[in-house]
Amino acid sequence: MAVSPDWAWGSGTGRDVRVAVIDSGVDPAHPAINGRVSAYCAVTMNGATPVFDLSPHSDVYGHGTACAGIVLSLAPEAEIVSVRVLGQDLKGTGAAFAAGVRWSIDQGIEVANLSLGTTKREFYALFHELADAAWFADITLVTAANNLPTPSFPSMFPSVISVASHGGQDPMCFYVNPRPPVDFGARGVDVRVPWKGGGWATMTGNSFAAPHITGLVARIRGKHPDLTPLQVKALLQGLAANARMSEERERD
Amino acid sequence: MGESHSGDERAAAELREALVLAGSAGVIGSPASHDRLLELIVETAAEVIGASAALLFVVDRQRGELIYEVSVGPQGETIERRRVPLDRGLAGLVAASGQPMIVSDASEADLASDVARALGHAPRSILVVPLSYGNQITGVLELLDRVDGTAFGQVHLALLGRFASQAAIAIEQSRAHRDMRALIHQLLVVDHSQASRAGAATVLERAHVFVDRMGADVDAREALELAGLVREIAWRGEAEFVAVRAILTGFAEYLRSRPGDDGDASPGGIL
Repeated sequence: MAVSPDWAWGSGTGRDVRVAVIDSGVDPAHPAINGRVSAYCAVTMNGATPVFDLSPHSDVYGHGTACAGIVLSLAPEAEIVSVRVLGQDLKGTGAAFAAGVRWSIDQGIEVANLSLGTTKREFYALFHELADAAWFADITLVTAANNLPTPSFPSMFPSVISVASHGGQDPMCFYVNPRPPVDFGARGVDVRVPWKGGGWATMTGNSFAAPHITGLVARIRGKHPDLTPLQVKALLQGLAANARMSEERERD
Repeated sequence: MGESHSGDERAAAELREALVLAGSAGVIGSPASHDRLLELIVETAAEVIGASAALLFVVDRQRGELIYEVSVGPQGETIERRRVPLDRGLAGLVAASGQPMIVSDASEADLASDVARALGHAPRSILVVPLSYGNQITGVLELLDRVDGTAFGQVHLALLGRFASQAAIAIEQSRAHRDMRALIHQLLVVDHSQASRAGAATVLERAHVFVDRMGADVDAREALELAGLVREIAWRGEAEFVAVRAILTGFAEYLRSRPGDDGDASPGGIL
């Protein structure tokens, strides 16, 4: 049986797959989201202790809504879980981010989109541990690569899928990146995204490439619920546009 | 010379130590002023990217705000320094997420910052990059609307990202230098009240002489420049820090181990 895009994600819609959008919150009222947020978790830091508020919340910046919108555009029946870790002051951001990832792992949420990262050195070990924990719990973490000189966590770890943007306009088109630590290139240029307040924006950045892969992973997990992150990554590598092109060249 | 110069000597020694510390953070005598440096950075960024306006925000962690520092605009307007909250807006988002991004079309959502509006701009396209220093986000650089009307692209993000990291280093060093000057000024003021007028004048004079001497002393300047380079490399990350230390240690050990080498700086060296 040949592994093909049709086998991998085919006409999947991400039904019954939960996707954590670990970000600034998601606005369920936006037409692009259309109420598809099944759970909320707002993380704030009380000193060194994370506080989890599970009541519905809004999107502080608009960014989370944009990412959720992209995920849903590829996997319209996925269940978004909004994990809000941005919006408190900057002092707590790294810790809140880590706590949000930990919460998502503890909830067993199958896929998570992390269109953010921390460059703070003191979080290196913690995020390494979290990435490993997700890996072994069969949770696929998809992160936005940070193409600035300072390394960003957890996108640089091999146990997560890290995504940068390519210049193309096809949302289903993605490439394997030949040089670590970025794994894939997905659509991230001039992406029309929902923004908070009911508006839209046309944005460019790795932040908007990652959710394209997240949406695809949700479709894959919807069709094949038992795939591990290793299998998901291998599948994506085999089905990337540049992998298939070289395969075809070999055949001829 | 006379009685109780030990107090003067001690104060002078402490000042000297403080200035050497300040010097190791960068080259003494570089940028004329901190504010001018910020202007230079923003002007250069705008020019390099071809933007019609640019704004620099600096993070104030304690108050959870961004301080808008300086901008360049098409009409060269100046806006007074103001603070914007960190927990909303595009600049706040980039400071919090650490992700650079471009808004190619801001017309359908309310994305213009208050400051951009104050510049008389309802920008169509916005490019925002974080400035980071020592693994922390220290500021945000925001560029608006390319002059030739074309969109910002990924190539600009990459270019500005590299420039931004250099700019962040320069800002922090300049700020440390400015803070150190303020600190020393304070030390002198304190000394003035405690010691005699004559004593304080001597200390002040010595401080001036010292700073002038540092400026004129090529060797000292070069040593400080080297220290500044090492620090800049080390700040890049752990691997870089280990590498630069290994390189210098290895080189020094090699030099020590050379037969008949008693450390004289003779020409015709190894390289």
